[in-house]
Amino acid sequence: MRISEVVERTGLEALNAAADVDISGVYISDMVSDIITGAQGGNILVTLQTHKNLIAAANLVDVGMVVFTHGKRPAEDVVELADRAGIALFSSPDHTWAFAVKLFELGMR
Amino acid sequence: MSACAHRWAMTDIRSGYLVVEGCYHCGARSSFFSTEPVAPIDEYREGSHFWEHLAGYQAVTFNLRCEACGQRVDLGDMMGLMLSTCEDGRCEIGRMALELGKSTSIYVALCADSTHASDRCVSDEGIAALNDYFNQRLRSRRKKILVVPCRMCSSVDRCRGYVIADTGLTDLY
Repeated sequence: MRISEVVERTGLEALNAAADVDISGVYISDMVSDIITGAQGGNILVTLQTHKNLIAAANLVDVGMVVFTHGKRPAEDVVELADRAGIALFSSPDHTWAFAVKLFELGMR
Repeated sequence: MSACAHRWAMTDIRSGYLVVEGCYHCGARSSFFSTEPVAPIDEYREGSHFWEHLAGYQAVTFNLRCEACGQRVDLGDMMGLMLSTCEDGRCEIGRMALELGKSTSIYVALCADSTHASDRCVSDEGIAALNDYFNQRLRSRRKKILVVPCRMCSSVDRCRGYVIADTGLTDLY
């Protein structure tokens, strides 16, 4: 599934411009130390954390996109760091569980 | 040299605390990994150093093991990874960043002793395996990860970057 399809079907708001690449799998975590040991390349990373360390971890494992739930939005310098790393950032008004259900209903596993 | 084209995977993943101490006598910083339920906070003398607690972060440690040949690389000498944003032409890592451009992300593997007075840092074998591991996992063809040892920093304590550690989660205010 491509990023654009996930965006369209789950009502995400894009926070930066990034390539519309294939994504596979989902990882939900609010700890950067957990992300580097658990997330896989191409995953949708769902999180509440909006700081730069999160981008450092997401870039290292090459996640496909990052979704900040509960309407959270990172500061501009965090978006700039994500731009530099080529990481697509999105915001969802849903809380994490509700967004996870939407991904499950899309067939994401 | 091994004939195996290694397929590295994380092994021995342990959760705990990265504890950072500073010497108020000479300004050196030292760190260690603790698996105790509560991060230790101590003040003590060790030789010429007077260590005091600076910070404790939730973190993980891991080793790498090749799924093909079983070779294991111990990364016990690595305290953390930092995404470098250094572009200082006087620093070797900064110069590399300027030369390699934005498609390469440089991560500094941090060892326990910021002064490198003991002449030890993250092992060459560990650095090579980390580079293989993280680049093998990349899906973006234009992206590259370069892991370098912190001994390459002109000054680790003044280096610019973002350490992959969970800060503040256990602090009480």
